[in-house]
Amino acid sequence: MSLHDLLVAPFDYEFMRRGLLSAAVLSLSGGLLGCILVLRRLALMGDALSHSLLPGIALAWLLFGPSTTALFVGALVAGLLTALGSALLSRLTRVKEDAAFGSLFIVFFGAGIALVSKLPTRLNLTHFLFGNVLGVSATDVGLTAIISGMTVLIFVIFYRAILLETFDPVFHRAIGGHGGVVHFGFLALTVLNLVAALQTMGIVLALGLFLLPAVSAYLWCDHFSRMLVLSVAFALVCAVAGILLSYHAGLASGAAIVLCLGAVFLGSALFSPQYGLLHRIRQFLREKRGVLKFPD
Amino acid sequence: MPHHILRFRQLTVRYGATPALSDLTLDIPCGSSTAILGPNGAGKSTLLRAILGWQVLAAGEIRLGDAHPQHALPRLAYLPQRQAVDWDFPITVRGVVEQGRYAVLKLFSRLSADDLRHVERALEELGLTELAERQIRMLSGGQQQRVFLARALAQGADIFLLDEPFAGLDLFACEELTHILRAWEQQGRTVLAAMHDLELARRTFTHGVLLDTTLVASGPIADVLSPANIDRAFRHGHCVHRSQLIPPMPTEGLP
Repeated sequence: MSLHDLLVAPFDYEFMRRGLLSAAVLSLSGGLLGCILVLRRLALMGDALSHSLLPGIALAWLLFGPSTTALFVGALVAGLLTALGSALLSRLTRVKEDAAFGSLFIVFFGAGIALVSKLPTRLNLTHFLFGNVLGVSATDVGLTAIISGMTVLIFVIFYRAILLETFDPVFHRAIGGHGGVVHFGFLALTVLNLVAALQTMGIVLALGLFLLPAVSAYLWCDHFSRMLVLSVAFALVCAVAGILLSYHAGLASGAAIVLCLGAVFLGSALFSPQYGLLHRIRQFLREKRGVLKFPD
Repeated sequence: MPHHILRFRQLTVRYGATPALSDLTLDIPCGSSTAILGPNGAGKSTLLRAILGWQVLAAGEIRLGDAHPQHALPRLAYLPQRQAVDWDFPITVRGVVEQGRYAVLKLFSRLSADDLRHVERALEELGLTELAERQIRMLSGGQQQRVFLARALAQGADIFLLDEPFAGLDLFACEELTHILRAWEQQGRTVLAAMHDLELARRTFTHGVLLDTTLVASGPIADVLSPANIDRAFRHGHCVHRSQLIPPMPTEGLP
């Protein structure tokens, strides 16, 4: 197989071009959002959010059939309900935010599964659970581009507020920042981007495109801005590689992208010069040798 | 007549039905260093939070100079407790100190040459210039504390609110922080620190405020920390604190 067959020929197909475009666009915003998820320790919350989208999708499907816009709106409403509902629960009752999220999302996911069992056709569910580039329509690409573009723009404009709210929310508040707005804005952006990622990545795997590049970049960087850039770069490269892998190996696109990102993460965790496993082991062995050796 | 920079009049703060601070009337002299002392739940942190405007006042008022503190936020610098900081965050010493300037920056403007001068001066004053490019985990406890002091300086604040600044510091770092705070006081900066170590407060600060949800005593630190005052503030069974200053109870005759 020539290089052309490997890298270029797949994109002779319209659906492959759309899939590539949508994955690439998503990786821009996903790489950014993932950094905040990682640094604020909200990784598991993101996972819960993505699962809670299911009942919205199922209900939209039952009511309006396979209309892209209806599915987007349904997922969005379900996600926002979970995010707002658990925020309210944690502020107004004794329940803490993680427990509130955990409880709400599992109820939503259960409701989603129940609704799906009522769907006339079951085949399409796997598309939403695991992603399918074949299903990406021109409208999907458009919506994804709008959401991703908006996310990137917000990160550029409010970079300092986002940095402060992530690093030191108390200080942010002390100098008159609006922490609550930043926090809810962030949750809303996460839901929007998860919805945008549905077609390409699927519900179960969508978060991978956010989380994995960010956590890989976290292992390499000592500057917030560089972490954002590297995370986006990882996401972008792996999105392209994953789409190609899914074409050649006949894999679900979400799974293929997550596998590529997983390889980058594993490599980072092992080989990062400062924070990687091998470095730590070498350091440990050196210290041990130092202890055993008598000082000169 | 000494000038007062912070004035509290009949300040009352409640958490639900429980009063956290009641009827507190107090003046903080300009350019003084004041330790806010008292047992757990005495309202030390509540007082700092009230100054920053994070507490709804049930009654009374706070004045900063002639203004409401909310209109003078850049003058106030708040130092977080050490355990509230994520030391693994991808940020360098310089990055943290630059945040001090964010307080005065407009939305789209970038750090100007003047902002950067503020940052350099703050780094230099706290002896962090050499360490400016280090990630914050790669510092000693005392150096880490100095980074946040430098951020407060870079902000251009003249009133510093410290929440348990000595917590988690080793002896050497405590000594270093004591030196810095004494120097600041001599330079006319106003420092307010909520803390619980009475002896450390006595050595570090010129003024003291002793609280037990209401004002027990305020004034020069030596007067405030008289045995009688301490006994009044800590009388609700806080034996750990009392034992720092009062000899242990005689144990003869006990089973």
